[in-house]
Amino acid sequence: MSVGKLFGKGIVSDNPVFRLLLGLCPVLATSTSVFNAIGMGVSVIFVLLCSNILVSSIRHFIPQKIRIPIYICIIATFVTIVDMVLAGFMPELHKSLGMFIKLIVVNCIILGRAEAFASRNNPFHAIIDALGMGIGFTLAMIAVATFREILGNGTWFGMPVLGTSFEPVLLMILSPGAFFTIGLITGFLNWLDHRKRIPHAVLNG
Amino acid sequence: MDIQNLLVISVGAILISNFVLSRFLGICPYIGVSRQMDSAVGMGLAVIFVMAIASAVTWVIYTYFLMPTHANILFILFGKEGQSPTDLTFLQTITFIFVIASLVQFVEMVIQKTSPGLHRSLGIYLPLITTNCAVLGVSFLNIDSGYNFMESLVNGMASGIGFTLALVLMAGLREKLETARVPKAMQGAPIAFVMAGLMALAFMGFSGLSLG
Amino acid sequence: MKEIVKFAVVLCLVMMIAAVALSYVHSLARPRILAQQQKDLMAGLIAVLPGSELGVITSHPSGYYTGYASKDSSDLIGHAFPVVSRGYSSDIRTLVGLDTAGVILSVKILFQQETPGLGTRIEETRRGESEPWFQNQFRGKSIEEIRLDKDGGPIQGITGATITSKAVTDGVRIGLRRFQESVNAAIQNISE
Repeated sequence: MSVGKLFGKGIVSDNPVFRLLLGLCPVLATSTSVFNAIGMGVSVIFVLLCSNILVSSIRHFIPQKIRIPIYICIIATFVTIVDMVLAGFMPELHKSLGMFIKLIVVNCIILGRAEAFASRNNPFHAIIDALGMGIGFTLAMIAVATFREILGNGTWFGMPVLGTSFEPVLLMILSPGAFFTIGLITGFLNWLDHRKRIPHAVLNG
Repeated sequence: MDIQNLLVISVGAILISNFVLSRFLGICPYIGVSRQMDSAVGMGLAVIFVMAIASAVTWVIYTYFLMPTHANILFILFGKEGQSPTDLTFLQTITFIFVIASLVQFVEMVIQKTSPGLHRSLGIYLPLITTNCAVLGVSFLNIDSGYNFMESLVNGMASGIGFTLALVLMAGLREKLETARVPKAMQGAPIAFVMAGLMALAFMGFSGLSLG
Repeated sequence: MKEIVKFAVVLCLVMMIAAVALSYVHSLARPRILAQQQKDLMAGLIAVLPGSELGVITSHPSGYYTGYASKDSSDLIGHAFPVVSRGYSSDIRTLVGLDTAGVILSVKILFQQETPGLGTRIEETRRGESEPWFQNQFRGKSIEEIRLDKDGGPIQGITGATITSKAVTDGVRIGLRRFQESVNAAIQNISE
């Protein structure tokens, strides 16, 4: 597979959030503002990149039967590093993401990529895969957060966009808004797929 | 023991801040395992079980192995006179995930030995639970909320019940949905999300309950 | 059996490497995290005891702080004390500053992890204003006035975040009462 195709796979055709329905908890929980979404996205990219590189570099030395605990250990280490770095250098972001930074450990995207891709490919491809998947995840977060922040708060990235007469739809910031937004976006992407008559990916899960 | 306090924690975890619908934990199994009632019930029971045990075990580990107190077992064993206990709380994430992963393995083995029937119905869900963020989430929440041992145990169990409630309700709805005419693009996960949104809206009504 | 031993050894090794790596990063990050917390606390104290940025703030072993407007601790501004209350999804830490007459000078939220967009609005600053409106409502209030509108008081709660608003308001009131009681006890001790 060409490098470009590998990179694009995570962003479009195999988008972890909208297509594979992985890592939904942080998408729903921390997409209340675009700032938080980017913070979460970058944290996930960092962990994904580091774990993919490490898993792929030592893939020949990991005993098959205990590979999962080793992956979890590697991921947990990088997550803790992100947690400490954010606490020290970006306390505001650390506060607003809260527990969800630590919960990156159980984000299925990261363990999924370690198991399905990094353990079978060389570090260079693992880096491309991590970047594609990570950026795909971040873009999905930004998409959800854009809807929620504009409608729910009248701002985008903290900048007022809808004028002072706009009464924010509080529902969008609350939990129902998160579910509605992601449901409608996945539905819309399905609809685009059907129109293009592309045999559609795993979407019934 | 303060029964009223435990009751407040339970009602809070089941209804008011429901794990799935208001805390957004455990969404993957919520969407993935809610297509049939049988599997939803099986998954739910397994989660209640693991969450209760995990809450208790992680609480003990955090309090007696990681926290820098004079009751820290590592300090009692290896600490020297006049030394102050070391703060190991930065190892929280890695210890907890390991404890949960081993716990799930252990529970699976025990169930397999003692009750093959239960193992047949719960067995396939147990490995999925390791990466269910609800279990790790409740362990963190117990610590962040400063709960004591009993409160953690009750919170773990009640959160599991809340998860099961949301999951079983969703499964019931999706079984009915089989006969409904859903637009093609919205079939499957999209309509499940929209229904989850409506359920979250309904559960928000519980936040008006005043407790305590 | 031999395999199990090998796996155990490998896993232990991996765990140990991880623990060592984390300890190293922790030792680098910890001073920063502590400094950050100290900075937050100092900024909070200066905010609730206006005028103390030019003077000194002393801390007392019983857990409260005293601010002076000059370096030689002559001009007393007032006292400040921290309050911890249970919010919707986290413990909320609040600093309360009092003037010499015991009236609230200012209230500041130091830490909270409430629902983003709802409970977190206790720290929100409205467009065109420079200070968070929710916390500002406490200024100049006496102890009996510190009640939420839903409980018949003048403090306007946040729509959709009653639990958070109530936690802060009740926390401040209870903390204030406790502080007054301990101060009264201290004064009595001195006079006796």
